[in-house]
Amino acid sequence: MIRMDSLTFCYSGASVPALENINLEIEDGEFVLVTGPSGGGKSTLCRCLNGLIPHFHGGRITGRVEVGGLDVLRHPTKELATKVGMVFQDPENQLVAMDVEREIAFGLENLAFPRDVIAKRIEESLDTLGIASLRYRPVHELSGGEKQKVAIASVLALHPDIVVLDEPTSELDPKGAEDVLSIVERLNDELGITVILIEHRLDRVIHLVDRIIVIHEGRAIADGGARAILDNGEIADIGVGIPPIIRLVQKLKQKGVSLDNIPLTVKEGRVMLERVFREGLRRTQPQDERVKGKPIIEIENLWHVYPQGLTALKNVNLRICEGEFVAIMGRNASGKSTLVKHINGLLKPTKGKVRVAGIDTREATIAQMAQRVGYVFQNPNDHLFADTVQEEIAFTLKNLGYRGREIASRVDEMLERFNLKEYSRQYPRSLSGGERQRVALASVLVAQPDVLILDEPTRGMEYRLKSELMRFLEEYRDRGNTVILVTHDVETVAEHADRVILLGEGRVVVDGGKRDVLSQALLFSPQVNRLVQAFEKYGVPGDILTADEALDLLI
Amino acid sequence: MISFRYQDKGTVIHKLNPFCKLAWISGVLVLALLFDNPLYLLALFVSTLPLVWAARVWKEWASIMKLSFYLCLLVIVINALVSNQGSHVLYQFPFHIPIWGTPKITLEAILCGIGNAVRLTAIISAFAILTLTLHPDNLMLAMIKMRLPYKSVLVTSLATRFVPTLIDDIGTITDVQRSRGLELDKGGLPQKIRGRMTIMIPLLSNSLDRAFQVAEAMESRAFGNGAKRTFYNRIGMSTVDIAILAFFFLLLAMGISMSLLGQGEYSYYPTLGGMNIGPLEGLMLSILALLLLMMLPLAYLKRRIDLD
Repeated sequence: MIRMDSLTFCYSGASVPALENINLEIEDGEFVLVTGPSGGGKSTLCRCLNGLIPHFHGGRITGRVEVGGLDVLRHPTKELATKVGMVFQDPENQLVAMDVEREIAFGLENLAFPRDVIAKRIEESLDTLGIASLRYRPVHELSGGEKQKVAIASVLALHPDIVVLDEPTSELDPKGAEDVLSIVERLNDELGITVILIEHRLDRVIHLVDRIIVIHEGRAIADGGARAILDNGEIADIGVGIPPIIRLVQKLKQKGVSLDNIPLTVKEGRVMLERVFREGLRRTQPQDERVKGKPIIEIENLWHVYPQGLTALKNVNLRICEGEFVAIMGRNASGKSTLVKHINGLLKPTKGKVRVAGIDTREATIAQMAQRVGYVFQNPNDHLFADTVQEEIAFTLKNLGYRGREIASRVDEMLERFNLKEYSRQYPRSLSGGERQRVALASVLVAQPDVLILDEPTRGMEYRLKSELMRFLEEYRDRGNTVILVTHDVETVAEHADRVILLGEGRVVVDGGKRDVLSQALLFSPQVNRLVQAFEKYGVPGDILTADEALDLLI
Repeated sequence: MISFRYQDKGTVIHKLNPFCKLAWISGVLVLALLFDNPLYLLALFVSTLPLVWAARVWKEWASIMKLSFYLCLLVIVINALVSNQGSHVLYQFPFHIPIWGTPKITLEAILCGIGNAVRLTAIISAFAILTLTLHPDNLMLAMIKMRLPYKSVLVTSLATRFVPTLIDDIGTITDVQRSRGLELDKGGLPQKIRGRMTIMIPLLSNSLDRAFQVAEAMESRAFGNGAKRTFYNRIGMSTVDIAILAFFFLLLAMGISMSLLGQGEYSYYPTLGGMNIGPLEGLMLSILALLLLMMLPLAYLKRRIDLD
């Protein structure tokens, strides 16, 4: 049982409270999803549950938080450890021991359990998570998904009544995320543990949860069952990513189609929309794809072998044209990053040839390539080092040999284009996540490259920031430039890319238009495509990928 | 990249009790500091080689030794330049520094530098073997048993844990800045330093964020819950282990008594000392060398007995 009475919390030094007048009650055994735009107070709320707030992060707190009969304000985090287990976002930063077994033992040792109890708990936790085979493996060798499972096991070993997970899947690939979420479901369903999950990819979890709480600007603005919350249009307005099927149904309703509910799963969607697709079909052709320019990237017989002997790319042949928006997809370690690092010369071919705008990458330095090819890495923090946003953006130009007025005018143009004018004299690392992403993007685009590469830019990114980023990319592409996006995010690809290249074990497995690649694929299909596949018998084209396209057919 | 870190290769050396390894390394360290005779120091270095072979860490050891080679070179050069002593002058600088006198390079100073480089090599070799064959967590347990404060020991262990993460971070950030046109090897020293800063600043800031998150995670798992912490893993001391431990103390006692007898001394200045080793000293030196080499048969013996 969790109870919060008029909880208000303000971080020390902040003028605006991070949480304001929160009143909540969560029953034992509930599965609660906490969502909302980033910076809204979700993580702060969760940290109040095990006393990290106010005992670890200081600040002003008023009101009352009670967990399992204990007053959190009076009991420090370590006393709450057996009541509330916390799993954090970055699996790397919550594991402290050298191997898995010792990791699980860590909390139990801190609580001074005798050795035989520790041995038993380790065994249980390993089995519950199905990771007994990882027992003696060094933690740093594990994949992200495996690390996150170890983190859950190490928390579970303390036998908590409540498990709080703060965006546990946002650093993981789809397979790892799937594994972790199904474990979370089992914790709640089979072990009866109260689960509080922060997550912004709703499509994976809404059918599992009992209740959704939306936190925005420090307040709980909505609280209730999944259907009631998601049917409320205001939730989408503040930037919560509504799953595509629900968006489709909501838009149909707005157009006057009578539907009395919203679907939480693809299956429910099929049942609900069968009649609509059978009777309401107007058109059977999705819009045409755009015309391509002349080739800008030519890759011939590319092989890459790393010094340790791993062959990461095997005979890759590709031709990418001006104005194309290409998504590069594939499992982890399938060679995606290795491939794109060849385009700006960070890696040179072991065998074969890579030419960008006619320049052979072996004959140019990375700095020379930077004029042609921009590369945005996943974490904007890795880009930022300068004292002000302005200097950060100017740095790239200085490296490339520009001087004086040219720099000033180009930097100004970027500040304008990315709405960064008001921050130009601020320290870039103190900005919010979305602003930092924009600074990183501006610092790369200021060189006016013809090609822009982005390596998993949307991982862990909330819906609103994702759409903002995509808007910038579309705009950049419309100027005749090429965008190459390395990603796992099927829905984003469905909406924005033209072409999908699927890599597997260092080879190009599929290369084609997004409709050919993404439709009717077993795992890769976007939600709406999985829905319409059932309606092909009514003449609905099987390569519809997004809610807007489906809507276009109907109205 | 060759890993400089512990990897369990399952050899007898890896399986040896941590306390025995610590006793061995303190033995090597004390002897290396006690003796000045370059022959003794060379013998000490050579005695570490069979362990490298037995632990199957040649590659890793060799790359650490390559780094130590540069360090040795530095020691020799600095000693030759700075030391003013010695009677065989090879080169006299044509200028005079007030108070210090006229700098000169002497044969004795160079050889003294080489002697010290051998000492350094022996110590580094021993520590390389230790880090490559001792699980950091076991080292931690051993240190706690020796009553070092848990928190300091934990910090050391955490630092080891995050070394691979840090190396990955450096790789990524370097790629980021190079993609933005940064050329690390271009320009003079000031420009190079500025270039490195664009990597160091994100690295340090990221590490600071990381440290906070790690602290949160540890706190959430009841870290710092009073002094009465238990330890799941234990370092068992078998009779053989105690025997091995005793053996290393014997070795140490032998070395110290030799040193007290004036053996193993050597002086480079003003002229090089002789190397004549008397019959008694020769005998004791052979015994010492033999004792040093005993580590290996003892390790094999331990495995035999453990298997029985």
